[in-house]
Amino acid sequence: MQPHLKRVIFLLGVVIVGFIFIRSMVVPASYGQYGAYRADSVNELRNFTVEYAGSKSCGDENCHKTLYSIWADSRHKTVNCETCHGPSGNHVNNVRVMPSPANDSREFCGKCHFERVARPSSFPQIDPESHGENLKCAYCHNPHKPWFV
Amino acid sequence: MMVENLIWGYVYPNEVEIQWSVLIVLYPYITGLVAGAFIASSLYHVFGKKEIKPVARFALLTALSFLLVATMPLLTHLGHPERGIEIMFTPHLTSAMSGFGYIYSFYLIVVVLEIWLSFREDIVKTALGSQGWKKLLYSGLALFSYDVSEKALHEDEKLAKKLAIIGIPSAAFLHGYVGFIFGGIKANPWWSTPLMPLIFLMSAIVSGIALLILLYIASMKLRKHAIDHKCLHSLAHYLWIFLILDVTLELLEIVSMKYASLEDIEIINRLLSEKIAFTFYGVQLTLGIFIPFILLLLVGIMKNRETLKMIMISVSSIFVVIGVFAMRWNVVIGGQEISKSLSGTLTYVPVFFSQEGVLPAIIILVIPFVILVVVTRILPPWKDMEEEVPESKTKSTIKHLY
Repeated sequence: MQPHLKRVIFLLGVVIVGFIFIRSMVVPASYGQYGAYRADSVNELRNFTVEYAGSKSCGDENCHKTLYSIWADSRHKTVNCETCHGPSGNHVNNVRVMPSPANDSREFCGKCHFERVARPSSFPQIDPESHGENLKCAYCHNPHKPWFV
Repeated sequence: MMVENLIWGYVYPNEVEIQWSVLIVLYPYITGLVAGAFIASSLYHVFGKKEIKPVARFALLTALSFLLVATMPLLTHLGHPERGIEIMFTPHLTSAMSGFGYIYSFYLIVVVLEIWLSFREDIVKTALGSQGWKKLLYSGLALFSYDVSEKALHEDEKLAKKLAIIGIPSAAFLHGYVGFIFGGIKANPWWSTPLMPLIFLMSAIVSGIALLILLYIASMKLRKHAIDHKCLHSLAHYLWIFLILDVTLELLEIVSMKYASLEDIEIINRLLSEKIAFTFYGVQLTLGIFIPFILLLLVGIMKNRETLKMIMISVSSIFVVIGVFAMRWNVVIGGQEISKSLSGTLTYVPVFFSQEGVLPAIIILVIPFVILVVVTRILPPWKDMEEEVPESKTKSTIKHLY
């Protein structure tokens, strides 16, 4: 074989070996242990602290029982407490730790209630441009018992 | 614009925003130009069509210039371009896309080797005849091996031919695979057809040859050199043949869809008659196929009148290049304009200034031409293109061609 062709083959070999080397450096060691993903991620996810306590914990222990019973009977019963009030794990474990204030912005309510063509027409939805004069929704609507204006 | 004006019928909420934008239209378009240009060059390198010789090396450089940016629309669309390489690091058989990295890399190696072998003699001569950085650049390109003896060149030629033989299926694979990605999406009736890879391949060859014709004419005009009409007519001839294959497959798909009239036919009809009527019937079929077909047919029949024929070939090529872009548009955007519910349609509104916008698409489409200018500065292919052809010989061969 001609020497210049040998050099090309050598160069090609360098490229392929280089690729294999970089791959071995970049791909995590636990990749492929269980499937086409990084197996270590399973443990990492398992070790995350649980931040949410669930709606039931708000109604337990006589803490927010009244509000809980109003909410549990309302049309918002499928929207959990922590959806608006944020994760409450720390607060449930220690009542002195206050959860962050509830998100009561128009945009947040609008995630469900701004008009979308894809939503069933029976679902309560408003045109944010013309409804409510840019006031916060909770100014008129009680989020714990919608339609209770 | 209000969302309500963009949709019709019943659609799913997550479909309202069309995710595959004009960049994804560009991706099969650029890949197609690569495959087409390479196949045009292999008409000479493999099938020994001597009349293509003037543009054979130029076609390879064109293929390389477009190949280098083929992944760019995808990486721009991805948002995190550094993650693109992961499809090669951790490939999976269930991902058609992960095969692309390997096919693309293999094809890139084949094209680079092919170019290197066909330009090696020039590279070595330039390296030996120059000084300073230029000598260093060309010596590096020659891999510091300066053997251009008859025996060495003969071996190069043999290897180049073998590579071109490997290159044709890889080019077909590279582009057929792009069609396969769309054809394999079974939830979308506008895409899901086994014909898709072949349709993409044929339109790729057509667009590649048309681009080559335009670049050849443009570069000869810029260099103020006479055009080799024999070569031009031969390219036009192949363009015509591939155009017939292309239109046959494209119409076959539509006709069989209409004849079979499965449950999706109503939405397909709406797509064709309302959403993409202009780009499909107007641009893709009439402008991109029908008019060039007639013009190229006339070029084949007409005698003499070289300038008129050249204009007709140029116009056909421009129409073909536009028509194939429309074809990519109709597939990529059209497919997303029908809802998965099969009872509604959506509308794609292109944005100009955005990551997914028209501006990045224009920039990406310009880059290969800049690369081509740079590459032709380093490896000038003009020698083959500017060889004088005896007048009488040209005419007789043209006659023979048609």
